Amino acid sequence: MTTTPAPPTGGPVSRLSRLALPWAVTRLGFQRQFAYPQAALWGLITNSFFGLLRVAVLLALFGTRPQVAGYTPQDAITYTGLTQAFIMAFSLFGWFDFMRVIHRGEVTADLLRPASLLGFWAAQDAGRALGQLALRGLPMLLIFQVIWGLNWPPGPLAWAQVTLSVLLAWACGFLFRFLVNCAAFWSPDAVGFGRFAWAVLGLGCGFLMPLAFFPEWFRALLAWTPFPGMLNTVVELWVGVTTGPAAWAALGTQLGWTLALLLACQVTLRAGLRRLEVAGG
Amino acid sequence: MADFRHHLTLYARLLGAQIRSQGAHRTSFMLDALGSLLITAAEFAALALVLPRFGGLGGWTLGEICLLYGLAELAFVLMDILFGGFDAPNLSTHVRTGSFSTFLLRPAPLTLQVFASDFALRRIPRVLLAAAIAGYGLTHAPLAAGPETAALLGAAVLGMICFFGGLFVIGGTLTFWTVDSVEAMNVLTYGGRTLISYPMDIYSAWLRRTFTYLIPAAFLSYLPALHLLGRPLPDGLPGWAALIGPLAGPLVLAGAFAFWRVGVRRYQGTGT
Repeated sequence: MTTTPAPPTGGPVSRLSRLALPWAVTRLGFQRQFAYPQAALWGLITNSFFGLLRVAVLLALFGTRPQVAGYTPQDAITYTGLTQAFIMAFSLFGWFDFMRVIHRGEVTADLLRPASLLGFWAAQDAGRALGQLALRGLPMLLIFQVIWGLNWPPGPLAWAQVTLSVLLAWACGFLFRFLVNCAAFWSPDAVGFGRFAWAVLGLGCGFLMPLAFFPEWFRALLAWTPFPGMLNTVVELWVGVTTGPAAWAALGTQLGWTLALLLACQVTLRAGLRRLEVAGG
Repeated sequence: MADFRHHLTLYARLLGAQIRSQGAHRTSFMLDALGSLLITAAEFAALALVLPRFGGLGGWTLGEICLLYGLAELAFVLMDILFGGFDAPNLSTHVRTGSFSTFLLRPAPLTLQVFASDFALRRIPRVLLAAAIAGYGLTHAPLAAGPETAALLGAAVLGMICFFGGLFVIGGTLTFWTVDSVEAMNVLTYGGRTLISYPMDIYSAWLRRTFTYLIPAAFLSYLPALHLLGRPLPDGLPGWAALIGPLAGPLVLAGAFAFWRVGVRRYQGTGT
């Protein structure tokens, strides 16, 4: 005689168990980053070397000027440390994981999971980002602190705003990356499209230079894009270039773009999956 | 001589096949070329857009920096097109998947096959952009026009192609022994390219000296550029040091190929 498992005891699934899957996915994404410690070490060395060169260029630009566009030379060093620390966590050099899954047709396996596709990937990327931040971000900040000294957020409010901004920068960046990867539903050439997108991101988010140094017209142009919210806002809140009401406005802008990109991702994903159904891939 | 001509024909044929296959997916190619172009364009724009606010970089004008930046980028991209097959990620893929072993079976010189194995056509637009930046530098920096200037600039570009090509060959050879640590070569190749794109007097003395005397990167284009701009050489180096500079590249390349031959002789495959 076989026993049938007891039916669920009725009522909605508890909130805790609904969070269990994303939490497990986040944890695994985090742990996976520690699989290749040697690669992480070399990555850290390479990033430090580039950090060294970037600091030299920025300090040479400053020359004897004590301040430019709200940045002191020490702020510029802090900017470099922060951007080098966030490269891997925010995947600023590109991210093709979801694209690969679509091209190989493995996305159908993802769809079998009892979780939303976007939520599943967000949880996984959150774990990946946290792992990279711990493995490469924090050591990078430590290296910068030891060699040049960093400026730190001045108080609890600034720390809270920076933390919030980092979370929103990750969310905004993840949704942008996901959206770019969705191009794979329509085109087998999406890798080229992705490379194009990361190049735009590198300039637009302030990874190559602090956006405050750019001419007015260029910053006005970027203000119409979500890119500054993916890195530059974090830096400006951290070094105190943006404070007071402007800080809340910057956080609001980040939140607005995050919601807009979330909507765009959901619409695109639905259309992409419908296309997948038609194509039978 | 007949042998050489035969190899040249062979190389041209292998490249022809590569070019045809890369042209097969036109949209993909266009987007990839555009993306590759945009990486250089974005990096350069970030510098060119902020320079007016600061007036210059350590006493160098935009035109003078364009000369250094454009020459380094031009040489590096040309080198990447020529030597791409030796780049560690490419070669290590061949080693890991065992396709390197099939190179050994073919009745064609091994080195020639590696040379022709990754001829990335999508980098051509980047070459044009780099040439344009160098061209802006040539016309906006106070250079004396003449055969000596042209010869020294030409030698500097060739020297840099040899130097970075040599680093690619060394990095590729290292993948015969280890697949992991080749990331360290990125510091020298991509890091070196970035390092010499800017006037080297902006770096701290130990960094500049390391990349002058230990790794002879400064000799490639920085010292020739100083000479052509009529600026004194660092550390009281004599004027002729700028003229022998471009020789550093071929020396590194010759050493790299000697190392390559040792590596190939020791190569045993991964069993795949």
